[in-house]
Amino acid sequence: MPTVTLRGITKRFSDVTAADGLDLVVNDREYLCLLGPTGAGKTTALRVIAGLTTPDSGQVLFDDRDVTTLEPEERSAVLLSQTYSLFPTMTVAENILFGPNIRDMPDEEKERTLVSLLDLVRLTKRASSYPRELSGGMQQRNALARAIATNPDVLLLDEPLRALDARLRIDLRKELKSLAKALGLTVVHVTHDQDEALVMADRIAVIRAGRIVQVGTPQEVFNSPTSPFVANFVGQSNFFVGTVVASTPEGSEVEDDQGRRVKARPTDVPVGGKAAVAVKVGHTQLVKTGATVLRGTVERMLFEGRVVHVDVGVEDLGRFSAKIPASHRDRYHVGDEVGIAWSRNKAIVFPYPEGGLEDELRVD
Amino acid sequence: MGSGKRALDLISRRGFRKGWTLFIISFFAFFVVLPTIFILSYAVTDWSDIQANVLSDPATMDLILSSIVVSFEIAALVTVIDFLVGLPVAWMLARKNFRGKQFLDTLIDMPLAVPTAALGFSAAIFWAATPDPPAFSLAVISGPMLLIILLHVVFSYPYMVRSLTAILGEIDETYEIAGRTLGASRLTAVRTITLPLFRAGLVTGAILCFARSLSETGGTIIALATLYGRPMVEGDFQTGSTLIGLWRSASASDPTLLPALAFVSILLILLALALLAVLKLTIMKVRLPLRKVWPTSEKMLSRRPYPFFKDLSAIVFLVVIVLVPSFFIFTFVLTGASAGSLDWAPFVDSLVLSFLVAAVVTAVDLALGIPLALYIAKNRSGKLSQLLDVLVNVPLIVPTAALGFSLALFWSFLDIEASLPVLLIILAHIAFTYPLVVRNVVGAVEGVDPAYEETARTLGAKPIQSFRRVLYPLIKGSILAGAIMAFTRSLGETGATLAVVANANTAPVYIVDLVNAQEYSLAAMACIVLIVISYLAMLLLRRFTREEVV
Repeated sequence: MPTVTLRGITKRFSDVTAADGLDLVVNDREYLCLLGPTGAGKTTALRVIAGLTTPDSGQVLFDDRDVTTLEPEERSAVLLSQTYSLFPTMTVAENILFGPNIRDMPDEEKERTLVSLLDLVRLTKRASSYPRELSGGMQQRNALARAIATNPDVLLLDEPLRALDARLRIDLRKELKSLAKALGLTVVHVTHDQDEALVMADRIAVIRAGRIVQVGTPQEVFNSPTSPFVANFVGQSNFFVGTVVASTPEGSEVEDDQGRRVKARPTDVPVGGKAAVAVKVGHTQLVKTGATVLRGTVERMLFEGRVVHVDVGVEDLGRFSAKIPASHRDRYHVGDEVGIAWSRNKAIVFPYPEGGLEDELRVD
Repeated sequence: MGSGKRALDLISRRGFRKGWTLFIISFFAFFVVLPTIFILSYAVTDWSDIQANVLSDPATMDLILSSIVVSFEIAALVTVIDFLVGLPVAWMLARKNFRGKQFLDTLIDMPLAVPTAALGFSAAIFWAATPDPPAFSLAVISGPMLLIILLHVVFSYPYMVRSLTAILGEIDETYEIAGRTLGASRLTAVRTITLPLFRAGLVTGAILCFARSLSETGGTIIALATLYGRPMVEGDFQTGSTLIGLWRSASASDPTLLPALAFVSILLILLALALLAVLKLTIMKVRLPLRKVWPTSEKMLSRRPYPFFKDLSAIVFLVVIVLVPSFFIFTFVLTGASAGSLDWAPFVDSLVLSFLVAAVVTAVDLALGIPLALYIAKNRSGKLSQLLDVLVNVPLIVPTAALGFSLALFWSFLDIEASLPVLLIILAHIAFTYPLVVRNVVGAVEGVDPAYEETARTLGAKPIQSFRRVLYPLIKGSILAGAIMAFTRSLGETGATLAVVANANTAPVYIVDLVNAQEYSLAAMACIVLIVISYLAMLLLRRFTREEVV
């Protein structure tokens, strides 16, 4: 299985830049999730790897081989599209045998491939059904079997779970990943769903406006985002804007123009520099009594099952959100005044973005 | 096996594919578009002839101008009538469910299966007030204009209904439902919300009807000959197309007619193209005054029994004006006087020729039309593709008689009119049937999610394999529809055939000759044979399209 490398890929469509000097390395046998908001250029990156879109400039390498101008059928990189694109005129079995038929596999071998793949995706009984007669989950497995039947080096998944029911989507995450691992495939999985990416990926590449903004393990991307955008896009964050007033190897302090001073991790932003402090919603605590730097009024409480999402309006700072255990929900009511707190090492200091914080966090 | 694979590799190469695309586009340019409008160059090269023989001859000018005015008057009236009576039927087909809908659906297409020569004869003996009308005929019409309008409505009607049904089916009914939940009556909702949305379909329908009416030659000549009870002469009621047909057959012995012939063809082509542009622009741009609402009267009109009367009258029109005249010929033969003895040999010869031509034409259309359609549909954003998409319409709108004459001039350097007339006829028929295949296939390919073929490519299929195994099964129905349209149009064409080869001998031309010789029974027999064969082709189409997997 090859290592897939994208080097300086650029692609413009009339007025949209879908890839803007995109660099990415997908290691051999790695399950990489390409995570980004709608319109970030995820699908374009995938199509460039598949050979369906020719980049304006840049290179695509499979190991050391330059495949930039190679036809899709010569790449052994199979694309599984959002809607699976099962051929409606063929049965489940015929769909699976599409690849083997194309390359004239001997009949016995075809038969063997078919039997084992039908078994693998649990569709043996539906072999002669047509795709439209299958449930969404079955269709997905059929498409997967069809992809695997061509014995691909690279599997490209474009939002493979999007068309499924919420429950099934979660069940299939594990299944999809273990199958890819068992077959030793190099996988690029495109998604806009951060939960999906966090659960499934070996590494996550966060893409925005045609560029990769951060690559790392799910833990790295979640816990150590390198920009306010990633901090907010992978697990929502609350932001506090101010000036760095103290910076030591143990930690830093940031103060806003109202004199409120919060504690955060150590930072490279020099004292006196403008900064944005990000704290994940899940790391934000509410305090009923006692002195805290930030105080606000509960504006809204949303019951989410095991937790309750609480929005707190803080004067001049806007809304801070927190999750509290459902069992604590009677402690707070809309209109209550509460304190907001976090532990110092959960707060990350970023240099204040040039275009403003709002622009940095935009997801469109 | 080995050589097959090598061939597959060869045609999958990028260079080969580029060359093939270039070949297809050149074919389209040099065999379809250029010959169609070649006549325009005559105005440049031989302007002095036109000036001397046409412009300075008031009698000829009069004849030309009046025939063209008549052509456009008829086409405009026919289009308006088609729209008014076609809309309710299209509405029923698109929106309502009732018993016999399938049947009505089939009925609409029936006139398409009848070659226009046969249709013209059938409608003419039904309507025309001749001294000795056949049994059961209405025989009420003595004016040529009205007769021709009625005739043209018969064969253009299905095009309008089909276009309107297609677009109505695409317009989401929820808009209308939203309008009605907001308090609009049914009529108000339809008129202010749905009708403005379907202008695109209206443009297509109007252009098709207009072009069909403008083009029609064979049926018109036959109808007029039946009405007059003798072959047409120059002083008779003429449309632009019949004038070309008349002069073209006379030009064999009288070459001085050439400039006049060229001039009338040029005028027809230019006006038709101008009209295409105007229709496209105005209908899409002009804001129809549809906003105003008359709640009370519209609410009243939305209630029974008005909608019922509307549907009823649309159906009555369909039956009395379209269907009965189309098939009156069968009654005529059944009740007809002594059928005489048809000399079958020349008729069979002409039939064989017609079928040969139609078959070759259809085969060429498919082989070279599908690749062009694929190119147009898959490169939507490209300038060249957009240009081709517009050019494809040109042979559809240009009157076929003018097209045929233009083509004859274009290929005249080969000098084969005497030695190989069949080839010329085939080339002419390709020019006006090719767009039918292309249009159908473009529409179908655009309806297929490109992800199917892309997925096939990533699964290892070469472009030709992905077409054959994935795309072809999905668009097979439309390819067949295009093929049958091309086949029946070629089979029924008179105008282009006469214009390209003055003494051609295809079945429709043979029927025209029979009618001119007042051999009505024989003409009727010949028509019926032609109708039956065309209808069989139509049935074939229906069977194949049913098999299509949705």
